[in-house]
Amino acid sequence: MTMTIKKNFLIAVLLISNITYAQKSAIFMGATAHLGNGEKIKNSVISVKDGKIDLVADLSKIRIDPSAFDTIHKVYGKHIYPGFILTNTKLGLTEIDQVRATHDYREAGQINPNINTQIAYNVQSKIIETVRTNGVLLTQVTPQGGIISGQSSVMYLGGWNWEDATCKSNDGIHLRWPSSYYNTGWWGEPGGREKNKKYYERINTITEFLERSYAYYKSDNNMDLKMESMRGLFSGEKNLYLHANYYNDIIDGIHLCKKLNIKKIVLVGGEDAHKAVAVLKKNKIPVIIKRVHRLPKNQDSHIDEPYKQAKILSENKISFAFSYAGDMEAMGSRNLPFTAGTAVAYGLDYEEAIKALTLSTAKILGIDDKLGSLEKGKEATFFISEGDALDMTTNKIESIFIKGKSVSTNNHQTELYEIYKDR
Amino acid sequence: MIRYLKVIFFLFLLNTFSYAQETFPINGVKESFKPVYAFINANIIISSEKEIQNGILLIKDNLIIDVDSNLTVPENAIIYDLKGDYIYPSFIDLYSNYGLQKPNKKSSGFGPQYESKKNGPYSWNEAIHPETHASHEFTHNKKDRKKYLEMGFGSVTTHIQDGIFRGSGCLAILSENMENEDVVLDKAATFYSFKKGVSNQRYPTSLMGSIALIKQTLLDSEWYENTQNQTNISLQEYNLNKELPKIFEVKSHLDYARLFKISDEFEIDFIVKGTGKEFLRIDEIKATKFPIITPINFPEDYDVSIPEEAMNINLQDLKNWETAPFNLRILKENDITFTITATDSKDKKSFFKNLSLAIKSGLSEKDALNALTTIPAKLIGVENILGTLEKGKIANFFICSSNIFSKGTIYENWTSGSRNIITKKINTDIRGYYTFNSTDHKNISVSITGEKNQPKILIEAIDSTNLKSKLEENKLTFYSEKGNFRASGNILTNEINGKYQDSTGAFFDYKMIRDSLFIEKEDEIKKLVIKKIPTIWSPNKSNGLQKELKAKTILFKNATLWTNEDLGIIKSADIAISNGKIVAIGESLDTNQIPNYENLDLQILDVKGKHLTTGIIDEHSHIAISNGVNESSQSVTAEVSISDVINPEDHNIFRQIASGVTCSQLLHGSANPIGGQSALIKLRWGKSAEEMKIQNTDGFIKFALGENVKQSNWGSFNTTRFPQTRMGVEQVFYDAFYRAKDYKKNWEKYNSLSTRQKRETDPPREDLELNTLVEILDGKRHITCHSYVESEINMLMHVADSMEFKINTFTHILEGYKVTEKLKNHGAGASTFADWWAYKFEVNDAIPYNASILNNAGVITAINSDDAEMGRRLNQEAAKAIKYGGTSEEDAWKMVTLNPAKLLRLDNKMGSLKVGKDADIVIWSGNPLSIYSKVEQTYIDGICYFDNKDQQLNQDRDLKEKMRIINKLSRSKSKSKIKHKPKKDILYHCDTIEHDHDHDH
Repeated sequence: MTMTIKKNFLIAVLLISNITYAQKSAIFMGATAHLGNGEKIKNSVISVKDGKIDLVADLSKIRIDPSAFDTIHKVYGKHIYPGFILTNTKLGLTEIDQVRATHDYREAGQINPNINTQIAYNVQSKIIETVRTNGVLLTQVTPQGGIISGQSSVMYLGGWNWEDATCKSNDGIHLRWPSSYYNTGWWGEPGGREKNKKYYERINTITEFLERSYAYYKSDNNMDLKMESMRGLFSGEKNLYLHANYYNDIIDGIHLCKKLNIKKIVLVGGEDAHKAVAVLKKNKIPVIIKRVHRLPKNQDSHIDEPYKQAKILSENKISFAFSYAGDMEAMGSRNLPFTAGTAVAYGLDYEEAIKALTLSTAKILGIDDKLGSLEKGKEATFFISEGDALDMTTNKIESIFIKGKSVSTNNHQTELYEIYKDR
Repeated sequence: MIRYLKVIFFLFLLNTFSYAQETFPINGVKESFKPVYAFINANIIISSEKEIQNGILLIKDNLIIDVDSNLTVPENAIIYDLKGDYIYPSFIDLYSNYGLQKPNKKSSGFGPQYESKKNGPYSWNEAIHPETHASHEFTHNKKDRKKYLEMGFGSVTTHIQDGIFRGSGCLAILSENMENEDVVLDKAATFYSFKKGVSNQRYPTSLMGSIALIKQTLLDSEWYENTQNQTNISLQEYNLNKELPKIFEVKSHLDYARLFKISDEFEIDFIVKGTGKEFLRIDEIKATKFPIITPINFPEDYDVSIPEEAMNINLQDLKNWETAPFNLRILKENDITFTITATDSKDKKSFFKNLSLAIKSGLSEKDALNALTTIPAKLIGVENILGTLEKGKIANFFICSSNIFSKGTIYENWTSGSRNIITKKINTDIRGYYTFNSTDHKNISVSITGEKNQPKILIEAIDSTNLKSKLEENKLTFYSEKGNFRASGNILTNEINGKYQDSTGAFFDYKMIRDSLFIEKEDEIKKLVIKKIPTIWSPNKSNGLQKELKAKTILFKNATLWTNEDLGIIKSADIAISNGKIVAIGESLDTNQIPNYENLDLQILDVKGKHLTTGIIDEHSHIAISNGVNESSQSVTAEVSISDVINPEDHNIFRQIASGVTCSQLLHGSANPIGGQSALIKLRWGKSAEEMKIQNTDGFIKFALGENVKQSNWGSFNTTRFPQTRMGVEQVFYDAFYRAKDYKKNWEKYNSLSTRQKRETDPPREDLELNTLVEILDGKRHITCHSYVESEINMLMHVADSMEFKINTFTHILEGYKVTEKLKNHGAGASTFADWWAYKFEVNDAIPYNASILNNAGVITAINSDDAEMGRRLNQEAAKAIKYGGTSEEDAWKMVTLNPAKLLRLDNKMGSLKVGKDADIVIWSGNPLSIYSKVEQTYIDGICYFDNKDQQLNQDRDLKEKMRIINKLSRSKSKSKIKHKPKKDILYHCDTIEHDHDHDH
């Protein structure tokens, strides 16, 4: 009994130390502010009041009295960024890849639009702490598998519980477009990639389901959980996340969704997105690109094809976001900033890369009214890094704020480090 | 001697085998009369060397009794007048499973099978069955026999195509006699492969496992000859049939070099059943001197009609498609002995189509005929009974309309003197222009044109299109599809007459008289244009090399040098390379500081603003491996070696050179406590597997601990292999090393005997697994051990200390930070991931600060990839040591260069910029640890393997080549085009488990 009490007490203390309430107002002086909208202010001043950004300005151009603020952060020479946003991820729905009991990302069945990730989001995940401390403060928690996997929600990487950590519930439905090719064999013994004979059969399943959903949307019915979840796609409240990679699949998917009255489409994956620029532009479809740190699609692909894709989309004014889906997805997503760094190495403008990690993504997810950039009136969800956050040699996160509250920069790993470093 | 014996054996056979039936009782009346058959007026192709025009062939019973241009035909002979038709010796196929059941995989029940389930005193492994003899199970098969006869074959060497040691095959004539007569040689050859076939036993799961199993079996068979204390029928049968020709089936052009190593080591000659893609490694294959049995199943034309899909076809596949028909010619031009097998040909049509394609591609008809007749006969030592049409040989020949390699149609294929009709010969030629008369049609004209066998009949007064027709010996039927005209007719000279029926059912008599003959248009004599062999790149795929690269002499000026030596990082300095080595380093180097520079083609490159480093060394890599990274069957597989299965054509090699990697340890996986031996390679793109290996290095081997070896994540059926716990893992090591010590002692004892004593004593059995472990005990082979948690790391060091060996490197070692002192005391190094964790339970305490803590504690620490993608960003991974734990730039950089060089004991020639070391250098656009820096050039041994500024040219070249072949394909008229099948890359990690390795490259 005493043991339990002690343990609970310890947990409570840890949680409190993790998120402490900032004072009512604060000022950050002297950092290079990467606003997230493509602009930067080299010697900036940012003030925060009641969890919201109150002022963003060039320190050399305005006069300000720091003593008027409850806290003064002198951050000269450092960098301040809006919280980076991770998309299309199972972070928070899984803890250890090889331990099935820790998996909460794939429901049984093929069509599950009513599945809602937000309530399974484990905000206390040890992985989340380690991702947050590299600058990722928001994540689109996404269900996996099937044809329609369910709905994602946008969550903060911090909070007391999932409710507290919710930024936006059910931002969209994830449709996994059939691949016109599939891989034979199994992971240990991959066979060739074969043409998917069930491609059109699958598309028929999707078509029929979307048609029924639209009919339901237009009529007054008894509650049908699945159909009800689809409503937002026709009213424009929810995004349809179209997961497709091959050029033909992308084109087929977009055309079908357009035809079936879906208002907002976001392409996810899009390994061939740079080949489908015209269609994406015409239909104003943003792209959540596949992890930049991936191998080229096949042996004939240019060796730097994955690194250059972001630049091509940017040049063509196609809005895009970064993601880290794939192997080692949850734990590896702390490298999201560095994937953007690699895209910069291969020609993407630096502030455009920041924009893709912040405001562009916020727009795609429909949270740009309160997040995504350092602008007056938006939430104070940002972090300060000692140096350039896109380069691992300088990404050192000194402080993190979520909704104006300071969040701990410690995690399970830094704790072990502290214990063992000077043993 | 053997050959001589065989000849005697055959003479004996020839005199007797036709009386095989003697031993059988007869149900009925004995038919003993054997007439003489005479084939006259024939063009007889005796062999590729000799042809008789208008000759006579005499056969009796199953033998040729004479052949010449001027022979007396015996009075009672049955005469066939061939009127100018051709007679060829029937073809011989050495690689067939004709007349034998295809073995089926038995259901293995639940769980893996580690031991043999075969009853009797046989080999321990179900894939080793030299005791299988095809002749024991041979029986004729009508359908397959027909297929072979249609393709011109008269005899085959057939065997059960299953397993690694497959047993013997028999030579059978494709007749319909009793097996006793048709099996003319019950053991013609023995057969082998790298594939374990239907065996359910786990071992071997990988190609390297098959190679090790072959070697061990060969050693055991030698040992068995001198041992009396046990019975092993498999080894006994191998020894018994050892002198027969050995035919080995390979699945890849890379397998030749692999087989050659076995051949060389055990002094065994092989005949190889090849892949048809020998052209990809012709020099290497030529050097093996193996005769080759090659299929002619050239790739079918790709369907390139959909542009996006066409672009997804790999350039490699396109280039192979284009070059495959030249394979035989290339073999010939390289003086390689080869025969042709029909085994992989779909049917007669594709066999002859491809044969003629090979000839159009420059194979001479003479060489084609030899490859189908005399060469196969010679390879199995039956040239005195088969292969040519000479007196005394078996009467195996076919009759055809003209040259078999261009337009000839086979009419009959005679086997052992028995007739098999293939295509009925039509002698009558009804073609011509006729006048047709009947009661209701007067003087209408009829034209009969087309092929002699398939005439086209047109009567415009009845039907504006050709009538349907069927021609038999002296009978012709023809009708209109409209139903208004159905006729039959008798064929006379220049006249056809009979009845026809109209749509009402009424019959009419008709008669048509030929006014003039059909004059066949002379085929335009196409000049045989010998096509040029397409250029073959090395490797024959994207970014392949068109010519060999040469080492350069270069003086790089004004670079920032990351020396990894006492000089540290020096700005604006110079470095010179020559003959593959670093020859000078310093500020403002002068050309005369380069030894012998006057005689060298010196290049001076100003690389101001660039950073120059030594090449990245990946201590833990699994790229460039063929067919299995894990021999995942047994707990101890020290006998297998990655160096046997290097795949020098993996495009990940090129991708990694482009990322600054110059050297890799290709490690066995982590499926068992004692895994296989490593290969240390330099990424010499375009070279062969052997050329990639680093010479004169110490050996390395993979050990592993924890979840992988105790099969924690292998699913619920894999719970029977020892060990299943960390406790069992420890015991596996003790057991293995105690066995190794005993083994070593036994050999030492034996080796200390005098020559005479040795003669009287059986030598111990040589064991490849224990040989390797003894190397470890002797300090000649070093261990890289996959490990995660501190308890197991500690445990293995205890085992090593008490058994008197050392752990060279712990790889992964994600909890290494908890045992730094112990590592230091033992002298082990660490090769870790920069930031991986959370992928399994045992990596929950993995922290990215690990590398920094280890390094600070004085443990030699490297950062590795274990992943083809991460191998492209090892500079970034090293940079993470700065972020996590504050390692200095210089030390971080050493983690992917000098430190892995030390761990691999290569630091005397690699790992730093130092005069005398290998010129493995990388030019970076900026600080190599910055995420914004890119590789501009990579040199290995002073050869520039990657130059970023040429990369666009390369890519343009590849695209141009692709489009050239796609354009060629779009002109293809082939009806059976194949849709492309883009291949998925096989990417290995150390926990990649194969259940089989039957996939081809």
